[in-house]
Amino acid sequence: MKNLVRALRTQRDMAQGQLADAMGVSRQTINSIETGRYTPSLPLAMALARYFGVTVEEMFDDQAS
Amino acid sequence: MIKLRNPAICRSRWFTPLICLGLGVVVFAVSALGGQLGGGLISLAVLVGFGLIMLLLGSRSETIRGLTVARDERFAQLDLRATALSGLVMLLAALVFWLVEVAHGHNGHPYDWLLAIGGLAYLVSFVFFRWRG
Repeated sequence: MKNLVRALRTQRDMAQGQLADAMGVSRQTINSIETGRYTPSLPLAMALARYFGVTVEEMFDDQAS
Repeated sequence: MIKLRNPAICRSRWFTPLICLGLGVVVFAVSALGGQLGGGLISLAVLVGFGLIMLLLGSRSETIRGLTVARDERFAQLDLRATALSGLVMLLAALVFWLVEVAHGHNGHPYDWLLAIGGLAYLVSFVFFRWRG
């Protein structure tokens, strides 16, 4: 699923590891989300959206192919 | 800081090596009881070695840590898929062995029991998880 995680993370000059620590997941999980290979659970998607101050709909685009 | 990780699946780094050691001791004891001391020692050494490799590599590899001590939701999902696939492969292997045994004129033991247990476990767990929602 396409998302803004990488864009929002790099906007804040954060490394994947830092975001992973903040979310309590592994760096690989953040990488998989950013590349669209892994769709996070609803709690993690909400935590990511809350962390970056956007809505889940803004962060994740389920319409994009 | 947001913490999503379930503490129950954040184990000590010694968890896997100790499980391997425990399993090795059990296999060794059973082998010794069956008069196969050499085989038991080899099994013990293999299991202890595997546990130590997991312990050493765990500090370097996130994949090994996810497999052993720190399992986040993605690793939990990977574990679930891998477990399901392993179960399917085991059942298919048991089915093939059972067919071969029957084709050779045998009664299919113990593969018939393995297939029955596997099938029953699947049905019971399916109903259980459906009931739990």
